[in-house]
Amino acid sequence: MIKTLGHILLIFILAFLAACDHKPVAYHEQLLVFGTVVDVKLWDVEEAQGRLAVARLADDFDYMHNAWHAWHPGPLGRVNQLLPSGESFTLPPSLLPLIQRSSDLSRRSNGLFNPAIGKLTALWGFASDDPPKGPPPSAEAIRAILDQQPGMDDIRLNGLTIQTANPALKLDFGAFAKGYAVDRAIDVLRELDINNAVVNAGGDLRAIGRHGDRPWRVGIRHPREAGILASVEVEGDESIFTSGDYERYFDWQGTRYDHIIDPRSGYPAQGLSSVTVFARQADLADAAATALFVAGPDEKDWLPVARAMGVSGVMLVDDEGKIQLTPGIRERIYFIPSADNERTRPEIRISAAL
Amino acid sequence: MNWVKLSRGDAVVWLLAATLLVSVYTIFWQADGHGAEAVVLVNGKRWARLDLFQNQDLDVPGPLGHSHIQVRDGQVRFVNSPCPNQLCVHTGWLNQGGEVAICLPNKVSLQILGSDPRFDAINF
Repeated sequence: MIKTLGHILLIFILAFLAACDHKPVAYHEQLLVFGTVVDVKLWDVEEAQGRLAVARLADDFDYMHNAWHAWHPGPLGRVNQLLPSGESFTLPPSLLPLIQRSSDLSRRSNGLFNPAIGKLTALWGFASDDPPKGPPPSAEAIRAILDQQPGMDDIRLNGLTIQTANPALKLDFGAFAKGYAVDRAIDVLRELDINNAVVNAGGDLRAIGRHGDRPWRVGIRHPREAGILASVEVEGDESIFTSGDYERYFDWQGTRYDHIIDPRSGYPAQGLSSVTVFARQADLADAAATALFVAGPDEKDWLPVARAMGVSGVMLVDDEGKIQLTPGIRERIYFIPSADNERTRPEIRISAAL
Repeated sequence: MNWVKLSRGDAVVWLLAATLLVSVYTIFWQADGHGAEAVVLVNGKRWARLDLFQNQDLDVPGPLGHSHIQVRDGQVRFVNSPCPNQLCVHTGWLNQGGEVAICLPNKVSLQILGSDPRFDAINF
């Protein structure tokens, strides 16, 4: 009897030790790539496996950054030099899926997300490493580009051959490339059999799996104050992307001009501080955040765009700090009272369902 | 069972136990989301690890020049940096585990560590 008990005890001890051996390991690394800090958190990986995976991501991000940069010399720069000629030429292969996918998303956004307006972005001075200081461009210069209505539908693709008849078309994937790159990073991690991860590229992220026995916890920064506005838990597979007027802007004679240009007016979109989009695919979330920011704070304007693009949730913060949420997000999000000034809870309105 | 008078040895054991209890509480119940340490990276490599409750000022050398980082009473921030857009300075004070401020042009980043940060990722 004593002997049996002893054996049982032994089994328990061994099981306990075995459990120690397979303790899930977190791996965390920050990369200065893609013009930002990319923060990679992996769960349940061996250290060596994590290091290898992150090195691979760093290489990929570097490659994509160089290939798709809108104003540094490189493959996209060469394409933009050749497009105005109106002649057909061969596209660098890495750009093909980017053009195809962004054309599709542009169509679904009814042109509010429009990567073909690179000339407008450059005219406003946002296609530069240094933020513009003003003054804003002249109405005539803006009109000259707008009149030609550059859009992704102006691009003719035949295999790898590209051509456009619109001389005002210039590609700028600033509102899309980061999302696309984050999707590729998640693909790579899954290929390496890493199924619990967060890839956070300068505040825009996609999370898969979970953090051990709990979901991933994501804080959403306040667009106007220091600190966190709200928190939300993510598990399975979801992207959260935010477009805000605080990211890149300049002030000129009391007016803030942000970097998100409305393709309809040629001027920076007005009325919102930030738009946060929830979707499975990061590239969709990225493009939709821009499209909804352009659509503006009125529900009858942004909701149809959100539906057409197929996002799973939206949070908008307008110029006055008022918040709109889709019902699904309302159930998941927790607003964090501001510690600094004991502010009352923000004014929150729930929109119609998506 | 007989109650016996507390011997000197017993008193020492009790005292040790009480001390242990108090220190265990102080050590393990302090994590309330506030990070106590921050890490400074230059070009992705760890440059310094900062105790946030030891007030200090640092000049961190990057490719463009020195970024001035300040630690005050559990918070840390960029005071100035030789970058054109000053995004790092506008980020302001960091005090929560996981919060990040970066000066991309000067390749200096600042992140709060935390034994139990409230968040795995910050969206902005």
